[in-house]
Amino acid sequence: MEDEASGLFRRTSTRTRKVAAKMVAALASSDNRTQAALARLEALENDNAGIETIEINDDDEASLDEDEAYMKRQSKNTKRKTRQAKALENAKKAPRTFLELLQEANLESLPSHVPSYLKAAVGPPSCTSRRNFCTVCGYTANYTCVRCGVRFCSCRCQNIHNDTRCLKFVT
Amino acid sequence: MSNVVVLDNGGGLCKAGIGGDRDPSAVVPNCLGRPSSSKKWLVADQLQACEDLTSVSLRRPFDRGYLINPDLEKEIWDRIFRSLLRVDPTASSLLLVEPLFNLPSIQRSTDELVFEDFGFRSLYVADSPSLVHLYEASHRPDGLISRAQCSLVVDCGFSFTHAAPVLQNFTINYAVKRLDLGGKALTNYLKELVSYRSINVMDETFLIDDVKEKLCFVSLNVPRDLQIARRPGKDNLFRCTYVLPDGVEHMKGYVKDLDEAQRYLTLPDEAWFPSQGMKDGCAEVPEKPEDRKRIDLTKNEFNLTNERFLVPEMIFRPADLGMNQAGLAECIVRAVNSCHPHLHPVLYESIILTGGSTLFPRFAQRLEKELRPLVPDDYHVQITTQEDPILGVWRGGSLLASSPDFEAMCVTKSEYEELGSARCRRRFFH
Ligand SMILES: [Zn+2]
Ligand SMILES: [Zn+2]
Repeated sequence: MEDEASGLFRRTSTRTRKVAAKMVAALASSDNRTQAALARLEALENDNAGIETIEINDDDEASLDEDEAYMKRQSKNTKRKTRQAKALENAKKAPRTFLELLQEANLESLPSHVPSYLKAAVGPPSCTSRRNFCTVCGYTANYTCVRCGVRFCSCRCQNIHNDTRCLKFVT
Repeated sequence: MSNVVVLDNGGGLCKAGIGGDRDPSAVVPNCLGRPSSSKKWLVADQLQACEDLTSVSLRRPFDRGYLINPDLEKEIWDRIFRSLLRVDPTASSLLLVEPLFNLPSIQRSTDELVFEDFGFRSLYVADSPSLVHLYEASHRPDGLISRAQCSLVVDCGFSFTHAAPVLQNFTINYAVKRLDLGGKALTNYLKELVSYRSINVMDETFLIDDVKEKLCFVSLNVPRDLQIARRPGKDNLFRCTYVLPDGVEHMKGYVKDLDEAQRYLTLPDEAWFPSQGMKDGCAEVPEKPEDRKRIDLTKNEFNLTNERFLVPEMIFRPADLGMNQAGLAECIVRAVNSCHPHLHPVLYESIILTGGSTLFPRFAQRLEKELRPLVPDDYHVQITTQEDPILGVWRGGSLLASSPDFEAMCVTKSEYEELGSARCRRRFFH
């Protein structure tokens, strides 16, 4: 029974995940806490947080059939392409992210009176104080993990954090 | 007379229908999805019709609120226009709702989609705040919004939240403020909390959307509610259980005892504290992690307590999550302050809430509570929520599309072919 139930949530095998731009920046940063914080925010924009096989340029077994069918439609007589060639082709078709398009738009060069995406950003809060909630149980948290910067409320929650989640977003 | 197709093309939902109608005939996810049980990608309404939505992989044409993948959007629009609306684009005009501050490159690819791929006869591009204003003003002709011809539209949608002052049916672009948080981030945050604290739901976007919509609410007093949320037993007004689909008896997840889960809404404030002389937060037995785990694992269910209000809390205090952005109340104040001082009192008195993420219970009350201390004492703060915050923008579009001078405001296909995207676009915004 339990087996069957957990099957609902079973993952397919793990494969390389496409790493988002901010994630790259985070990983390049030597500071674990910054890394963890950035990666955590980045994760909030994911469409498929837990599924690792989604982007078209993935080596995704399940979508192979479709991709192949597509290839065949595109070019009838070419032989089956190598994975690498396929990946390259897919990468070319892959849409650019909004942040890439934004960079290309070069909005910084607009005169200062022209409203734009960049100028509409609300900006930092006037009061920088931050309430802290325990990431384990949600309750008010008075302690910070020295390794990853995440907050916890008690010894009990600290232990759970250390055992399960510490540096999850870093490694 | 030809049809006007009205399309509110949101990052989360596409709302599509015929101009002049009261409601859109299609409200469908703006994405393709592939359930773990299927090899086929399902498009828009096919996803809604799909019985088993566990572990759906998603592909969205939108990223951070903007259309980045026109090829994908084309598949979705094709489904909507041909199978759901059954219209012939070449014999129709299109009123398209686009996000504020759309990038020129995205406008260009959108125009290509509209004129070259679908061959619409003509196009009008509108933004959501002006349509919301139009709808509210015309539905309350004697109200302040209509008399003063201005309002402050707060649109809390899928990808982001905008506070946008509108004057005489035009969005005051230079005063708009954006908070980079919307329903998508809230769902993802809830996924993360549930996955960490109870059971892995990282792949279950549709399921957690449902949990969020049914169980989350906005707290009017966070420290108090945190206390309530860790009481044991019946005194914990917030603890509730969500049951995951088992794929046999239940294809969809559901809230176990929904009335019980919602009793916090009907109780008067005083009743939140039992009368045994217990004062705020002392002498309490904090919830033990074991309590939380005391759920029936064979039934695949999970408990929620403080997650119910800590998730929407993000919109009011993004800094809590480490985001360097002001919360919603400050966002509104900054938008108002960017307008002429004459407008300030009227804007605070005509705040309109729209967008799916404003549907959380007590959203408006909390906003007013946060806003009041930031607004000069002699100004009134008046917040109204749209009758239907998900359809409000579309309804405004439908109204505009049925106005007599609509066709004259459009760019025609031949104008587009002659002038190109950039020059045609200048017509839509002042
Ligand atoms: Zn804790
Ligand atoms: Zn840690």
